[in-house]
Parts: sequence; C-alpha cells; structure tokens
Amino acid sequence: MSSLDPVTFEVLKNSFVTVVDEMAEQILRTCHSFVIFSRDFSCALHDANGDTIMQGSQDIAVHVGTLHLKAKAVLEDFEGDIHEGDVFAVNDPYRGGTHFPDFSLIRPVFADGELIALAQANGHWADVGGSVPGSFDVGATDHFGEGIRVPPIRVVDKGTARDDVIGMIASNSRAPGDIVGDCHAQIEATRVAEQELFRLIDKYGKEDVVTAFGAVQDYVERLTRARIADLPDGEWETADHVDFDPGSDEGLVTVKVKLTIDGDEITYDLNGSDPAIKSFLNSGAGVAFSGAIASAKTFLPEIPLNSGFYRAIKVEVGPEGTIVNAGWPNAVTGSVSGAYEKIMNAGFELWSQVMPERAMACCFNLEYLLVGGRDARREDRPFFMWYDWMAGGWGGRNGRDGQDCTSPVFGVGLAVQPFEGQERLTPVLTAQHEIIPDSGGPGKHRGGCGVRKGGTLTQVDAAVMSYCCDRARSVTWGIAGGLPSLPHGVWLNRGSDEERFLGANFSGVPVKEGDRFERPSAGGGGLGDPLERDPAEVLEDVADGYVTIERAALDYGVVVEEVDAELAEYRIDEAATSKLRDEQRATRAARIDEDPEDVARRFRDGQLDVLDLVRHYGVILDWGSGDVLPRTTEQYRELLRRRSVSEWG
Amino acid sequence: MGSGSARVVAVDVGGTFTDVCVLDQGSGELQVAKVASTKDPIDGVMAGVEEAGIDLSATALFCHGTTVATNALITRRLPKAAMVCTKGFRDVVEIGRGTRDDLWDAYKDNAEPYIRRRDRLEVTERVDHTGQVLTALDEDEARNVARILAKRNIETVAVCFVNAYANGDNEQRMAEILQEALPDATISTSSGVLPELFEHERFSTTVANAVLSPLVSSYVNRLDERLKQDGYDGDLLILHSGGGVMTPEAVQKLAVRLAASGIAAGAVAARYTAELCGFKNVIGVDMGGTSTDISLVYDNQLRTTNEWFVEYGHPICFPSIEVLTIGAGGGSLARIDAAGSLRNGPQSAGSDPGPAAYGKGGEEPTNTDANLVLGRLGTRLVGGGMELDRDAATAAVDKIGEPLNLDTHAAAEAIIAVANANMADAVRIISLQRGYDPREFALVVFGGAGPLHGAALAKELGVPTVLVPPRPGTWSALGCLMVDIRHDLSEMFLRPASDADASELQDAFERLEEQGRQLLAHEGVAEDDVQLDRSIAMRYLGQWRSLEVAYEDDLNASVERFHQEHEREFSYRRDDAPVELYRLQVVATGKTAEIELPKHERTGEMPEPIETRTVYFDGEPTDTPVYERSDLPAGARFEGPAVIDQLDTTTLVPPGVNAEVDEWLNIRMEVK
Repeated sequence: MSSLDPVTFEVLKNSFVTVVDEMAEQILRTCHSFVIFSRDFSCALHDANGDTIMQGSQDIAVHVGTLHLKAKAVLEDFEGDIHEGDVFAVNDPYRGGTHFPDFSLIRPVFADGELIALAQANGHWADVGGSVPGSFDVGATDHFGEGIRVPPIRVVDKGTARDDVIGMIASNSRAPGDIVGDCHAQIEATRVAEQELFRLIDKYGKEDVVTAFGAVQDYVERLTRARIADLPDGEWETADHVDFDPGSDEGLVTVKVKLTIDGDEITYDLNGSDPAIKSFLNSGAGVAFSGAIASAKTFLPEIPLNSGFYRAIKVEVGPEGTIVNAGWPNAVTGSVSGAYEKIMNAGFELWSQVMPERAMACCFNLEYLLVGGRDARREDRPFFMWYDWMAGGWGGRNGRDGQDCTSPVFGVGLAVQPFEGQERLTPVLTAQHEIIPDSGGPGKHRGGCGVRKGGTLTQVDAAVMSYCCDRARSVTWGIAGGLPSLPHGVWLNRGSDEERFLGANFSGVPVKEGDRFERPSAGGGGLGDPLERDPAEVLEDVADGYVTIERAALDYGVVVEEVDAELAEYRIDEAATSKLRDEQRATRAARIDEDPEDVARRFRDGQLDVLDLVRHYGVILDWGSGDVLPRTTEQYRELLRRRSVSEWG
Repeated sequence: MGSGSARVVAVDVGGTFTDVCVLDQGSGELQVAKVASTKDPIDGVMAGVEEAGIDLSATALFCHGTTVATNALITRRLPKAAMVCTKGFRDVVEIGRGTRDDLWDAYKDNAEPYIRRRDRLEVTERVDHTGQVLTALDEDEARNVARILAKRNIETVAVCFVNAYANGDNEQRMAEILQEALPDATISTSSGVLPELFEHERFSTTVANAVLSPLVSSYVNRLDERLKQDGYDGDLLILHSGGGVMTPEAVQKLAVRLAASGIAAGAVAARYTAELCGFKNVIGVDMGGTSTDISLVYDNQLRTTNEWFVEYGHPICFPSIEVLTIGAGGGSLARIDAAGSLRNGPQSAGSDPGPAAYGKGGEEPTNTDANLVLGRLGTRLVGGGMELDRDAATAAVDKIGEPLNLDTHAAAEAIIAVANANMADAVRIISLQRGYDPREFALVVFGGAGPLHGAALAKELGVPTVLVPPRPGTWSALGCLMVDIRHDLSEMFLRPASDADASELQDAFERLEEQGRQLLAHEGVAEDDVQLDRSIAMRYLGQWRSLEVAYEDDLNASVERFHQEHEREFSYRRDDAPVELYRLQVVATGKTAEIELPKHERTGEMPEPIETRTVYFDGEPTDTPVYERSDLPAGARFEGPAVIDQLDTTTLVPPGVNAEVDEWLNIRMEVK
C-alpha cells in the first residue's frame, strides 16, 4: 500500500463524510415510512472486508457499531457470488442486526472488476409483520411472533430488481406499499454512494481511494487511542436494570457493565448480566456492542465513527442466553427500550466518574406507544397505525441542569411527530403535549423535564394498544446524591370509573371509541444533592412552572412564596428555607428504611404521592393496584442508597 | 415606484461593515463605500450615505438589507412578548421535535424558546383537522388572559391554536380580545402568519414574527423617517429572506421575513451577474474573513427553502433563499489534529488578532498567511492601508509544515488545498445532493477572499467558468437593488391529485391572487407591474416531503412536471404511484425599476503590469505579472499566471487559465 499525501488524505476523508451524508439526504427526501422520515435510519460506507470506513454524522445511535456486522454477514453468505449491480437486504438481529424492522440494503461497489467497497442504507420500516401492528409485540417470547426474519438475500441481481423477492417481504407487512417505497429509496441511496465513489476514483485513482479506506480507519484509531491514553487507568463497575421478567417473579433484571481503561485501550465487559427474559426487551450481541460504543461516543463526541473506533474500544458481550446477548430464538425487537438503553446509561454513570467534567445522570427511557385498528372515519375503514414516541428529560450535568424535552439517547436525531399530521391520518385527537412540572429528577443540577402526551380515540374499530417502554420500576435515576424522576406507564381513562394503569410494557390491549389515554416521559435523573441547589435557581423554576411550590419544599427544601402569580412573581423565604433544609438533612436518610407496607398505606391514603415514594422512600408499587413489590423495593432501595443517600455529605 | 431616473442606492448592513452602492442610472457610474457598522445600525447607514456623497433628494430608489432581525434573535434583545395557546399545548415550541443539532455532544444545548414558559398562557378552545370547531373559544378565559398580559405590560403576542391552518376563527377572535385589552401591542396569529400544517413549525414561525415585530417595525420606521428628513421622497424597500423586497408597512405584519435579510443580498447579486453574463445556472461563492456563503441559481431561479432557522430548533418556515454558510474564510485557522492530520477551519482568527501576517499577535497560520507566503497576496492590503508581515506568515505556516515534513511553500499549498476542498464539499452538498451537476454551472466569486480561491475551486469541481464581478468586496450590497417586491401566499390543499376539482383549485388560487393583488395595490404598484405565479407543492402519496412545481391551469401538466422534477432531484419517478397535492402557493411580484449596469466598449488593450512578483504554483516559483484592476479595460484578454489587485480584493488567475474582461468589467476565467 502506498501512503497518501496529507492533502489527499484530508480531502478523501471529508469526501467519505459527504458520501454518507448524501445517502442520508436521499433517503430523507424519498422515504415513505414516517419512522424513517423521523430519522430512524443510518448509512455507512464499508471496505471490502465489511469494516466501516465512515458512518453518517446524523445517524441514529443504536445503529452505530451494527452496520459492519450486517455488511460482513453479506460478504460471508455470498462469498464468490457477488456481482456488479447486485444489492442485498438483511434485517437479521442474530447476525448483528438491531431488530426486525431495521432493514439494511447493501450494495457492493466494484472498480475494474474488483470489489472495493460496500454502501449500506439501513432504515426502520413501519411494519414487518408479526402478531401486532408495527411489529412491536411486547408479549413475544421468541422471534416467530415478532416479524419476518431476513438473513442476507439478493434483491437486485446484476442491475435487475427482483420484484418477486421484494414482493415476498412486502407481503408479510401490514403496509406493503411503504415497504416497497422504502426499499427502493434505500436502494437508490446506495447507488448515490456508488456514483460518488466512482467520481473519487476518476479523480484520485482506485489505489489512492482504497488506501484511504484503510487510512481513515487508522486515523480514527490513532485519534481514539490518543484520547484514551490521556484518561486515568482503572476499573469501574455498575449495573442498570430492566423492570421485570414476565416469565419470573417480580424483581429488577440486571444489566451489568464493567469498564476497564488500560493504557490506550478500553474494554467493556457485560459478563454477569441476567439470563434472557420472556419479553422482547432482550438484545442481540450487535445491539449490546452498539450500546457500549454509543456510551463511549457520547463522552468522546468529536471522534468520527468507523471501525477504527472499535479497534480501540472492545466489548465483551459474554455468553449467549443473557439479556444482553439473547441468541436465537429469544425475542429482541424491543431491545432499544430494554437492554440497549440500560447499557448506555450504565456507561454514562461509569464515564461520569472517568470524566467528571462531562458527567451526566440517567436519561429518560425510550418509549413507543402504538394504537392500531380500523379508521371508522372513512367508509372503507382502512387500517391505521398511530405510532408515537416522545421526547423526555436527560440527566443532570456537571454545572448544568439536564436537557429538557430531548429525543431518547438511542437516537437523538429521532424527531417527535407533529400531532396535527397524526390527527389527519388517524382517528386520535391529541389532548395535550406539554412539559410535566416536577418531572426533572431533583439534584444540585436537576434532570431535564419530561413530557406528557395523550389523547382520545374518536371513530375507531377493532383497535388495540401496545406499549414498548420500561422504567416503571427501575425509575430514571440520579447520581452523586441526585434523585430519580418519575415512573413510566400508560393510564387509560384516568380519573374516571374506568381508570386503568396499563404499565410500561404491554401488548394488544383492546381499546374503543371514546377511550382517553395518557402517559408521561420521565425527566432526567438529578446530579448532586438537591439540598445544595441554589435557591435562586429553584425560584426561577417555580416562576416557569418547571417545579411546583409544593415540591420545591419537598425535594429541594426551598420555601417559595407567591407574590403575584399573574405576574409570575415569587420570592424565597430565606429563614424558612434554612430551617427546612436543616430538618431534612437530619431526617431524610431514615425514610429509606421505613416499612414499605406502611409507606404504601400512606400512599393509598393520599398522604404521600408517587414522587415521594420513588425519590424519598425508595418504595416501588404496582402503580395501578397500589400493592408493594417487595423484592423490587429492596433492590431499588439498595440502588438509591448507592447513588444518592451515600453521597449526601 | 421610482422611475428609471437619477440614482439608486443600496445599503447592506453586516456585522462588521456597512456597504453602500450607488448607481447613477444616467451615466452608468457605480460608486461604492464601506463604513464600520454602528451600535444603532441606522447611524452606520447614514454615515455610509454621507461617505458616498449621496444626495437623498436626488435618489430615485433606496434599498436596504439588514441583519437587525437576525441579531435580535441571536442576542435575545427582544421586547416583552407572550404567547397564547390552546389548553394543553403551550410547550409545543419548547418540546419542538426533540432533536439536537449535535447528536453526540450532550453538552451542546438547543437555544431556549424566544418566549419563556411563564409568558406562555393557555385558553380553552379546539378545532379539528377539518376546521370544525370542537370546543368554542372560552371568552371569559380569553379576557382573563388578556387582562393578565396587559398587567404584565406585554408589547407583542403570538396566538397559536391547534389546527388553526384549517380554521383561524378562534385565533382571530382571541386576537380581537387581546387587542381590546392591549391596544398598543402587536398581535400575530399563526393562521395569519403561516396558515400551514404542523404545529411546531407554524407556532415557531409565529413566535419569531411576534418577537421581531415591534423591534423591526420601529427600526424600519425610524430609518424611513431619517431618510425622509434628509430629503428622500421615494419608498424605502427592505430586502427579505426570500429574495424580494418589502415595504415598511408590509414589515409591520411579517417582520419574520427579514430574519435572513442580511445573507440574501449576496445570493441575489450572484444571480444578477449570472443573468448579465448569459448563464442560467450559477453557484455564488461569497468568501469573507471568517465564513463563506454558498448559494445556487438554477434556470435563473435562486434555490429557496422552507426549512431553515436562525437558531437550531426554532424553524422559520417562510421561503428563504437557501444559503449554506461554512466556516472557511481568509482568517480560517489551519492546524494539525491529535491524530496528525491537517485540518482547516472552521475556527477563525477573526479580525482580532487576525492572521499572523497582520502582526496583531496571531501566531497560528490562516489561509491569508498561506496566500501571502505563496505570493498570491501582496504585502499591501486594502489599497495600501495595511502592511502584511511575510516573516510572521512564514513562521506560522512552518508550524504546520514541520510535523508534516513539508517546506514552507508546500505547507502553504497544502493549507490552501484543504480550504478549497472543504469549500468544494460544501458546494457539492448544495448542488449534487439536490441533483444538480456542478459542471453545468458557472461560479460567481466575490467577497474579500473569494476571487483568490475561485479558479482553484472551479477546477476542483469541474466548473468551466468563473466570474469575478467588478467590485467583489461590496458586490453583495448591490443585491438589494436587484429584486422586486415579493409576497409569498399559501394555503393548504391536501387531497389526491385525482380527486382535485378544477373549479375548486381555481377558486383557491384566485383567493390567494386577490390577496396578493391587494397587497401590491396598497403598496402603489401599478397593475401592469404586477405578476402572479401559481405553484403547487405535491408528493407521492405516503411521502413526507413535497416538491413545488409551477401550475398553469393544467393540473395534468403540473403532475407531469412533478414526476420530472422528482426524477431530476431524486433520480427516480413512479408513474404508477398516486400523487397528492399538499399546498397551493402564489408569488405576487411587483416589478420595481430595472437596474442597468453600464456597458463598456471593448478596447482590448492590455495595460502594463504594476509589478512582476514570484508566485508559487504546484511548488514552482513563477514570475507573475500583477495588474491593477482599474487599469484593465473591457475586452482585455490574458492568460494566467496573473494577479489582479484592487482596493477590496485580489484575483488570482492560475497558469493555463484564460481570462477576459467583459463589457460589464467582470473578469471571466475559463478553467480547463
């Protein structure tokens, strides 16, 4: 291999970024699925080994670190049978894919008859079959209920689209038209990349371009190692948790993460995580790898993403059969809500110790709410899907509050949908889309605020509701003395006789015309002792309604008085604040040892509310029935002690 | 409107300089002046007018581009503003779409909403997507909200109700109630500002309009008064983001349209040069000290976009000229990164300390330093007003050269090559990504640094022709003069093309045209000068983005145009897929007096160079003649290498490039 002069190298490196971003632009403008339009897709350029040369700068996090695995799967399965003009498709989560809805279209690029690169466009398709609309069956215990599994297959054969094969996949979907449209949009995007590579080869010659494929990966590896070498050596360990295993008794399910820094290399070790659970929140090995990589990238945001990054940061996912490396045929479609974001947030907690200047507490968990059925507003009663996700709060930070109302960590580019668009397309009338007061986890730097969104079903027929979420019990936590946010979960007809708490993970619940539903997204966890928060900041939060006067006292020990609410004028009672904070300092640690049953009784009597329980008493209930979950409470209190109570000076 | 007599004046206020262009329509003489921008921009405008020796009483037309609105948004020097929303929806502008500009940096936050949460109030009301009122406006609540806002001394209010694009009656009633309680306040309704689908985008645009209204209106009125005091009796016309001008009265209602007034001028000037020189497709490259603005003209039309913002997360959805700004300018810093790779920009040395060659304490190499080391820039800058320090530039460039094992000249060429490649990538984003092949375009380069880089950039992109206008440093100001009054009107019209009723379509267009006609008539535009252009935004059923195509009373023809445009931009068409109409638009144009630049007779005589100096090209020291721009007559032809100096810029003609001065005194370079 020749070496490149510095200018050619820099120019080609930037050109590769432009190539993947041009693919993204092409997809965004031609896609059919609103999920893709909301930026749930990614693009990459790979070398002839399938290693990633460059990934899109706006790509969704969960696809990071998985694309090269799918590229390699194609190369492996079709070795010796890959031709110019071919395009392959793959969605197999057991071959490095994320989940069934994420379909990759992969085009080999040839120069002088030699395979030199692969261009990949990966997008989340609206429905790929399975037992429920949107292919999100929370109740699935294995892959057969989840959707169509596609190992590497050829969909374009030497320039001719195999409509039979594409048609077969589309026939397994509730939205076949969208699938065909998106498939072609992604095929076109890979063609755009091919054209651009040809242009570069024309200009710089094949040899220089291929050399640059490797050089760009070496460059990222050098950059990453240089950054890691500046970090302290050591081992850091924590665990985050999924709410429960439906196949087992109540109790949090452990995702274990150990981070080791040794010289210029990092190792993530996920060994010790619990066995795979009987729901679709497990992850495959590819997604687990991605979760670890994405948490590192969050703390090293300036480093471009390619396989060079993965050479300096290694991930041991442990043996098959665990929640982080489920293996076929365990269900994995909800991995992003389950194991994935747990790995990421556990990573944030560890990195916050390695790099305190960029510390961040736990961020709200991704949630997807789905209502599917017949739209009775129209005579032909077409099938509709109201498929919704929310922004929420991110964790408190070093010297700063967490970000309010931000997309989930699994994909910050995932845009929430305009409800005015939803109201045209589906018989669901949105009731509110608003910030929830007191949702930010209290802390010296509080978590960002979460959001409430709900609605009323108007003219629907044969409709069901499903929810892919988590953290009704493993509540979004604080660090360094900060406190948790609030529990997730969907409420049906809240405040009426027909009120039901459906929880944070359910599938196929029948719903009818006139039903009202709502759910919160959590705020971020707090960072630092809330009693150390500057009262002036609490006052500002009260004036804006991010914090209520009541909880300013309960969570921050700050006594705020109303001067004139019409002018948004409030003031702090300094003396009362000082007294209240002293009292709370003296008594607060003991609350976490109070009898859970007694606490639950006071909750049912209305003396305590849900925020008191998760923040100050460490008691977790079935939020619908009000019954104590003893094992979960015990585990939760242990976590609260470690992350919060033990940090109070 | 002003007739074609006497003088026309354009004043473009930027962050650092206020540029003035005066064109004497009779003699064809073009005069420019550059003065420092001032705290109250109007002082700068008047200083520029004085500097240029303009007699306002003899001025036929005064056009103005301004960054007042942009700066107000960025610095948040905004009036006391409030928002009134449908109950349950006051946080729509804060939640936005949830996304962040930088996906990975958790410490980079979006800008706060322009109106704080405490000033966002709610009332009970609800309209559905068909425009049916589900819940009437609760007038008691509305009056109470109005009373509270009056008590808070609110100066401007945005009324943003759900689905108001389909029926704005409740918003309108709310506005009336507010106006009774707040007689002096400005009220903007979302149905009045931008009656389009999608709550966040509509609300956000309305909020931007509300916060800008009092401020921008008062600015425009004050300027109007100052000009009148000094004898100007024509209309003050202000350039808006969409590449048209508007009157002070129109600004009262749609202040938000000025949010990108400052950057639109350069793009318009590029289009003008293109038209003059007979090019239908050009890319404008306006390269200054810290950044480069890139714009695109295709088939004589500037490319516009409805998706833009001043600060990420707060979209302004009016048609705006699409300008891509990147951090590449004369002052951009070159550096070696942690992995040993050569980088250039976006960090800039700015004007203080500026490039190392300025001798004001800068030690890191910039593009200006590299150009000086290579002899492409002379040591005298701004017509001799500033002396550049070649030794300091050399020392700075060597800081890059040493670790890369390059000698000074090779390092300087490497710095310039990376800068050019970055600009070329940006041009590719705005052209190739939208389906345009840069090889079918000409490049118009201007700004203080553009003409130094233009030829190399063209070579990198395969663009055959480069145009350097006569006054590159102040060329963008001229853009203010070269546009007509323009109103963009729109209405949602969602239905499959196959279901569209021709008479219904006709009625809707006529409604929009009538609005446009009334606006223009009110502004004193004669009927003969009114032009109305219809277009329809369409998409394939199921798609999320739409494309605009012209409509000329034949829907089938428009649908075919849509297929064609889709194929051009996205490289495929689907004749079998149903097409959905999305939105109807009318552009109402009021023609203003045409500007004519003087033509010069081609004499073709080459002057003597003012000096010959050594310039480096591909590592070769080359004796290169240096000409004074004003010495070059129309018709002058020469072959590179050559350097052309003038007060506000330096043009580089590399070896092998043929150059010619045309009858408008543009330098045209043919790049092989």
